[in-house]
Amino acid sequence: MAHDHAHNAPPSETAMRVKALETLLTEKGLLDPAAIDALVETYETKIGPRNGAKVVARAWTDPDYKQRLLEDGSAAIAELGFSGVQGEDMVVVENTDDVHNLVTCTLCSCYPWPTLGLPPIWFKSAPYRARSVIDPRGVLEEFGVELSDDIEVRVWDSSAELRYLVLPQRPAGTEGLSEDELAALVTRDSMIGTALVEAPAS
Amino acid sequence: MPTLTPEMVPGLVAGGASCRMDVDVAPKFKVGDTVKARDINPVSHTRLPRYIRGRTGRIARDHGVFAFPDTSAASGTHCDPQHVYSVRFEGSELWGNHANANACVYIDLFDDYLDSA
Amino acid sequence: MNGIHDMGGMQCMGPIVREENEPQFHEEWEGRVFGMFFTNFAEGHFNVDMFRHAIERMGPAEYLETSYYEHWLHVYETVLVERGILTQAEIDDKIESLREEGGS
Repeated sequence: MAHDHAHNAPPSETAMRVKALETLLTEKGLLDPAAIDALVETYETKIGPRNGAKVVARAWTDPDYKQRLLEDGSAAIAELGFSGVQGEDMVVVENTDDVHNLVTCTLCSCYPWPTLGLPPIWFKSAPYRARSVIDPRGVLEEFGVELSDDIEVRVWDSSAELRYLVLPQRPAGTEGLSEDELAALVTRDSMIGTALVEAPAS
Repeated sequence: MPTLTPEMVPGLVAGGASCRMDVDVAPKFKVGDTVKARDINPVSHTRLPRYIRGRTGRIARDHGVFAFPDTSAASGTHCDPQHVYSVRFEGSELWGNHANANACVYIDLFDDYLDSA
Repeated sequence: MNGIHDMGGMQCMGPIVREENEPQFHEEWEGRVFGMFFTNFAEGHFNVDMFRHAIERMGPAEYLETSYYEHWLHVYETVLVERGILTQAEIDDKIESLREEGGS
């Protein structure tokens, strides 16, 4: 990641505090900066919502996989190789004609890293955490998702060590698409529940 | 403990560190049971949010046995293994007349947060 | 604890601000702070519950005014001192010497 400004402007007080800690821990032999380099690179290049999109596309095209995914999310996601930190114990919840699911974490910012990457700022923000449980329909409207009252809205508050992934509905008109083409339609927000998956513009 | 090296990173990232505990603990509740969240107010760590305390819900799923965060935060090691359930609370139970239409919350709660209702 | 972090159901927090094509890290230091979660965890300095509780112990105004990764930084500065891994004086002296060197 290039940060040209870092070489011109003086480092912020926060950046200085971080540098101080990293330097001290390194001097004491408690930290290898190269490990942090590797972690940053991993989460910037290998882990993100494209992983979750592959899970969704597989579930849309393989009914047996979908059944395994809904019964034991951790094992089915592991089949595709997307296990690990903050995705150790996964639950997948399915949107249907009658139910829409929305994932939140009111106490902190729990989020399924291996399938969705690190959470966006809005997911970690006070307005989302506060409102998602008391006014989920209002939150969804703010994201442009308007649901009729006969669709039940289920909010999943990740208060323990389970992590949640929404299996969005496959859009109509995508019958001819391949699994890869389907995966390309699946957005991060649709797997949090703040968006629906749109059919490709024809 | 060994200092984390770049070579160890892929294994750690892919393996994770589950808080699930492989011990045989009997569940206090079963799917379908009606439960009431305890009204606890510890100054220490808890994962039972205020908006759930004292409210009545229904057990939707038993996730199995996990370390209890309230005591694990204090001890520094995973301890007090117990069942965690997905519990469904209707919007009207949580928010009264100000609840959204046809909305509910599912939240993961430990045995020690719950009483029969 | 009945802290500011327990936000479910609070109102009038303002709009949910979204960013298009948000990077994983906005500043280089955020990536360093993120990585230190793993290195400190591997050293056994804390478990995830201690980590969360250290964030909850922040003052409410500071909690609301600082970012996610500043919360994480607060954990390290708090827990590493509490556990005797570092002293506050060591941290302060290092910040001062970095400042004299003109930063990173």
